[in-house]
Amino acid sequence: MSLWVDKYRPTSLGKLDFHKEQAAQLKNLVQCGDFPHLLVYGPSGAGKKTRIMCLLRELYGAGVEKLRIEHQSIVAPSKKKIEINTIASNYHLEVNPSDAGNQDRVVIQELIKTVAQSQQIQSSTQREFKVVLLTEVDRLTKDAQHALRRTMEKYMATCRLILYSTSTSKVIGPIRSRCLAIRVPLPSTEEVCSVLTSVCKKEGLLLPPELAKQISEKSGRNLRKALLMCEACRVQQYPFSVDQDVPETDWEVYLRETANAIVSLQTPQRLMEVRGRLYELLTHCIPPEIIMKGLVKELLSNCDGHLKTEVSHMAAYYEHRLQLGNKAIFHLEAFVAKFMAIYKKFMEDGLDAMMF
Amino acid sequence: MDEYEELFGIQDDFEEQFADELEVLAQMEEESSKLEKRRGPGDNISDIEHLLDDQPPTTPKAKRHKQDTGVAKRLFNASQLQERKVPSQNDDITPPSSPENYEPSNTFRSTPAVLDISGFAAIPETPRRPPTAAPASLRVLKRPPLEGEYISVTDSSGSRVYLRQKEDTGTKVVDSRMVPNSLGGLGLLAVPIGVLREQEAEKRHQQVVEESQRLTELLTSSVNDVLVEPESEENEDPEDAEGRASRLWVDRFSPRHYTELLSDDFTNRCLLKWLKLWDTVVFGRERKSRPARSDRPAANQNSFKPNQGNQNQNRFKTKVEITEEILEAELDQYKRPKFKVALLSGPPGLGKTTLAHVIAKHAGYNVVEINASDDRSAEVFQKRIDTATQMKSVLGANERPNCLIIDEIDGAPSAAINILLAVLNRKDGHGGEAATETAKKKKKKESILLRPIICICNDLYVPALRPLRQQAFLLNFPQTQPSRLTQRLAEISQRQGLKADTGTLMSLCEKTDNDIRSCINTLQFLHGRGLKHLDNKTIQCVSVGQKDQNKGLFHLWQEIFQLPRIKRKRIGEGFEETPGSGGGAQRFQHILHLALSSGEYEKVSQGLYDNYLSMRVRDPNLHSVCEALDWLSFSDRVNQEILHGQNFSLMRYLPFLSVTFHFLFAHTHVPRINYPHSQHEASTRLLSSRNALSTMLADIPAGIRTRISQLSLTLDILTLLLDIICPKLRPVNPQLFSTREKEQMHELIDTMLAYNLSYRQDRTPEGQYTYVLEPRVEEVVRFTGLPPRRQLTYQAKQTISREMEQEKMRRAEQLMLQRNPAVKEKDKQEEKKIAGPKPARNHQQRLENIVKQTTVETRPEVDFFGRAVAPKPQRPQPSSDTGEKSAVLAMGTAVGNSDVWFRFNEGMSNAVRRNVYIRELL
Repeated sequence: MSLWVDKYRPTSLGKLDFHKEQAAQLKNLVQCGDFPHLLVYGPSGAGKKTRIMCLLRELYGAGVEKLRIEHQSIVAPSKKKIEINTIASNYHLEVNPSDAGNQDRVVIQELIKTVAQSQQIQSSTQREFKVVLLTEVDRLTKDAQHALRRTMEKYMATCRLILYSTSTSKVIGPIRSRCLAIRVPLPSTEEVCSVLTSVCKKEGLLLPPELAKQISEKSGRNLRKALLMCEACRVQQYPFSVDQDVPETDWEVYLRETANAIVSLQTPQRLMEVRGRLYELLTHCIPPEIIMKGLVKELLSNCDGHLKTEVSHMAAYYEHRLQLGNKAIFHLEAFVAKFMAIYKKFMEDGLDAMMF
Repeated sequence: MDEYEELFGIQDDFEEQFADELEVLAQMEEESSKLEKRRGPGDNISDIEHLLDDQPPTTPKAKRHKQDTGVAKRLFNASQLQERKVPSQNDDITPPSSPENYEPSNTFRSTPAVLDISGFAAIPETPRRPPTAAPASLRVLKRPPLEGEYISVTDSSGSRVYLRQKEDTGTKVVDSRMVPNSLGGLGLLAVPIGVLREQEAEKRHQQVVEESQRLTELLTSSVNDVLVEPESEENEDPEDAEGRASRLWVDRFSPRHYTELLSDDFTNRCLLKWLKLWDTVVFGRERKSRPARSDRPAANQNSFKPNQGNQNQNRFKTKVEITEEILEAELDQYKRPKFKVALLSGPPGLGKTTLAHVIAKHAGYNVVEINASDDRSAEVFQKRIDTATQMKSVLGANERPNCLIIDEIDGAPSAAINILLAVLNRKDGHGGEAATETAKKKKKKESILLRPIICICNDLYVPALRPLRQQAFLLNFPQTQPSRLTQRLAEISQRQGLKADTGTLMSLCEKTDNDIRSCINTLQFLHGRGLKHLDNKTIQCVSVGQKDQNKGLFHLWQEIFQLPRIKRKRIGEGFEETPGSGGGAQRFQHILHLALSSGEYEKVSQGLYDNYLSMRVRDPNLHSVCEALDWLSFSDRVNQEILHGQNFSLMRYLPFLSVTFHFLFAHTHVPRINYPHSQHEASTRLLSSRNALSTMLADIPAGIRTRISQLSLTLDILTLLLDIICPKLRPVNPQLFSTREKEQMHELIDTMLAYNLSYRQDRTPEGQYTYVLEPRVEEVVRFTGLPPRRQLTYQAKQTISREMEQEKMRRAEQLMLQRNPAVKEKDKQEEKKIAGPKPARNHQQRLENIVKQTTVETRPEVDFFGRAVAPKPQRPQPSSDTGEKSAVLAMGTAVGNSDVWFRFNEGMSNAVRRNVYIRELL
């Protein structure tokens, strides 16, 4: 527990650093006793999980923090054995069904049902329901989501679900309508800065506000990343200097270089090089959506204003295909080639216009 | 042996040529005789029937009958002796009760079985039918009724029946009156009316037959042969012609002699030679040698090898000059060749099976074939092999030894192949036993393999064949020489009245890849469609000859990326003649066909994807690249749809990808195509990095585990975490660290433990020691080509590693203490127990005194130090007692109760001894 991220993570709703209104609302929600299913969503590094854990603590007390990892094995109807890890306390169970891949429906059907069906023995001293925390709901297959619908209604008396995802777009409507959706937005730059400063203060360090601002911008307001960056800065050099360069994640640097390579030359050979780089990114476990997003971001900042709409349109088009297809590299490369074509045409037109 | 050598003499070619011609002649002769046969009966039918009609149907006499046979004999003069015999025999055995009996004899003349049956079916009818007053209900007759109107009907198979017309009683009377007239031969007419009718009917029948002949001709369009044509004009059964036409040319013209073989001479010779090696064992001294052989290993077991070896070598040295070195290998102890099995391999249609059959026959064997159409499960296979190799037909003229041909062995289950191997290797175990026990050996003797086995396969590298490959005499079939094949095709087509020039036939060969079977089948097909003249264009247009060739992926890719050459006039690869002028559609079809027949769309598209960018694309605007990628992503989506929704009807759209790529990227240059590895490489690397991440995640404590996922680990945490665990450390002994530094160190170790990271000492191939981070997540987040991150020095890593070990130990101990506090206590006890006896020696005297003083009640038997082991149940007690050590009495009881005891002597160092572990000093 020695990373700052872990060390200074708030553990109760009252101690949360930002979105305090929402925290208060959650507190009220717990106190009024009528606790619904929740769907917590928001970009990564906004503090969704922290918020959920605080909420659980509010519900059940400190006992919820005594966690243990359990290895469960479920036998699918097809006699296939599925191994899955769950994290559980006495009061709740955390599962990532998408770990089971295509068999996630079985996990939903078997695991959650068994938990949901069991009643709490002493309902006088504790709450009458358990909580099942499902992570990465957006990666669930449609089958699994449909399997979830009935379970959610049927075992309402004994079990509440907290679904957790980065976006709701892949969660089917029926599930969304059964949950109270809670969006956890990213903290603002100021909020990130204040968190960084307070953490440094607790560590007995002095963080110059300029550096804090720089870190928060570089991290894209992702608080987890910001804290890690800050700590990495601390490891790199202390006392902090204002113009210290903030370490970045490698893949972002690599992606930026790729985008630059695309803009600087548009030939099939270059496309071949870019393909190699895209493969590299994919094999480093970077999801293709994120590569696409990063590419578009970098390319847009590099190209002319006239092209921006078209480029973003193309990006949306190819991202959609990417979601439908299977081989991400085809679609990524198709986008890159399309961008190259558009960009080249634009540049040549510009040249012609200059000459005449 | 001699005749065998002759075969390889110079007259080989001569022979072959002559043989061909002879064969042609023989066949011609045969056919003409057949023709004769057919014509005979056809002509005579009517005559005979006329004559038979004259017979009095009521009372057949022996005399009459003899006359008839005489007539029949005369009439049958033209036909062969054998056939003539049959009817007469028939007559002798069963004297006909009615003229109907001639029916069977008639049917004998025509070969097809259908008529036969119909003829026999008529027999039982005959006795039932009173000839004069035929019941009115019997309207369908085999022969024209003697009286009354009738209509002759010929069915599709050519057999004719007569339908009696319902007639007035008046006419019936007239007819019945006329019959005796004709009987007596006193008829008013020169020709009896019955005969006239018969003639009329015959004429009509002929017309009908001709008509039907013409129709069948049109339908099958097969009877335009010069030789067949005259037959069809005659009253030939259409069936017969059909039967002949339905026989495949491949079978009709398959080689029957060694010299007619089309396959490569060298291969033929090798196989024959190998087969001849068996002669010693199979033919040489067949009956005599076997007992001798069985004696020999028993008699001179020691001197056996050199003797036999020399003999054999001398015997075979004569042929060594010509044979391959495999073939010159000496025979084994049973005089069998070294390789018991020949394994022929090669693509289909080269004549492997034919070769095996012809050669086996040539070498004097009776061929027993097992192929894929037979049951090849293990037991059945075993049985069949045994039957074929151990036994021999006793009855019948077929006294030749068997040669087993296992065709299509690449499809056999591996169990069957193992059985085959076991059969081959039988002698090994047997040879050892043979030396010791002769009796047993005799029993087993018959189980040695003494017959040649020829295996045939298409794919030599099927996994199941692997063990067999090592033990078999491998013969790979090269391509048939197109010139020889063309020559043969020319002969065939000439004989069938099909005009074709050599160039055309050459292009046919090329198109079918010198596949003999395919060539001949195509020829027959074209001939069957009524084609008389074969030219290049028909060959080009016809798509029949093209099988779903499995040309290989590289060939397909090459075709896609390469424009067909213009100068290539012969068809070879397909239909493209001049790609410039309207060849687009043809190229389209060609590529589509290739892509369809390859079938491996996934691989194909992957190969296209990997290679298209390295083609010489004249594409400054990148439009075709964009389009190609659009197509790729389309096909990816289709694929996904197919796999996900099991919607395989979409599969038909996949081959069009290849066509698109052909039109976008084809170039006249020969493309350099690389095998597509990228996807596979990427997926393996992705898998390995996933595995590294999951190993890392697996042991992270739950408190942290719940906060991180694999995704956040790769995207946010890992890179920075790796930076964080590389702090600047002073390169000094950790003992000399300042408190601040110590704290820092502590935090670092804490972090690493929390995230399940550790350093492991590793040795590089150069012999240097390094510390590597474990699990290997560094590769997951580090990219090549980026400036390298700061690394810790070896010393620093060593320090960290050591500290981590200590910390781990500390934590483990703490954990253990927490879990059960008794353990530590117990530990101490254990230590004391070990330490106890040693000091006890020093104080033995005194202790004994004390023990005597205290007179232990619990333990009357003293002097336990000699034994030093105390009963178990009393061990827990002393732990409470050890506290008090002042009173001698207490000590006494303690000593009495426990096996551990020590006394502290002030100022003395040898009073207390205990085990001390290093970890307690750290």
